[in-house]
Amino acid sequence: MRYKETGEVHMDFHRTTNGTISYLRKTHGDQFLDEVFRRTARDVYRSIHEDLKRGDPEQLVEHWTYFFDREKGEYALEREGETIRFIVKKCPAIAYLQERGIEVDPAFCRQTVVMNQTWSEGTPFEITTEVLGGGRCVQTIRRVKP
Amino acid sequence: MIPSDHFVRFYNEVFKALEAKGHEHVVAYWRELGRLQCIELAEKFRKGGLQAAHDYWTRIIKEENCEAEIVRGDGYIEFRMHRCPSLSKVLDNDAAPFEFYCDHCMGWVEPVMEKAGLYGVMDMKSRSEPRCVFRVYEDKAKADAYERTATLSSRPYAPASRPRRGK
Repeated sequence: MRYKETGEVHMDFHRTTNGTISYLRKTHGDQFLDEVFRRTARDVYRSIHEDLKRGDPEQLVEHWTYFFDREKGEYALEREGETIRFIVKKCPAIAYLQERGIEVDPAFCRQTVVMNQTWSEGTPFEITTEVLGGGRCVQTIRRVKP
Repeated sequence: MIPSDHFVRFYNEVFKALEAKGHEHVVAYWRELGRLQCIELAEKFRKGGLQAAHDYWTRIIKEENCEAEIVRGDGYIEFRMHRCPSLSKVLDNDAAPFEFYCDHCMGWVEPVMEKAGLYGVMDMKSRSEPRCVFRVYEDKAKADAYERTATLSSRPYAPASRPRRGK
């Protein structure tokens, strides 16, 4: 995995992410916000995207599980044939905000939706995000091309 | 979810996307960050002065895995950042760093200082090395005197010293 931080976790960055999303959405619009997520997925996480292009989803799965474990999120990982489901029961970012009474921006989950969508581009996979609300979602990697 | 560990790499992309629209959009974003940080810190710093600032950055050293120390001087505290975790991550990155990445720090610090009645001076030393020296003063004249000795002072809101390429 390209980035694998250890040591203390500064969870308050989720507050800044939430504030940034809110600011960009209100000041520059939804399209601009999505474009920032797309460039983050393509450029920062180039390694994940390259692996997916080669047909290997495991770095993305490790990325999901490693950082959810690190931030004490709750999830289940299910594999069925060539389909992998990351079932989020408690998103640590949303939990952090809600525990502090911080209003979660309506576009907060765009980071997950758009990045998953971008990572699937040019790959044999479809990566979907079903946002269920309350810090729950289902992220699915499904092979759609051989 | 962008992990909190990776926020600064996302931040770096935000800066670059805003810079592509015009530097004034980056500056406006820094102002927003400053506004948000003021809610958290300005009153604490105004009431607690240098001690409150010392306490805050002592906590940050631990939480953000900084290689840094804080020392007290006559009427100021000095934060010596030997290895900034923020710029280090932005440099350890498959995406290119934003040229003026370091300036975001003073971008939020300066509004907090103003509201708290304190005076911050940030000597970035270099925008491409993850180290800097930051002092907080109670006295403006002393802060100004120290700034004159800085190698590369961060002044994100001063039009005359807006970050220039090549520095």
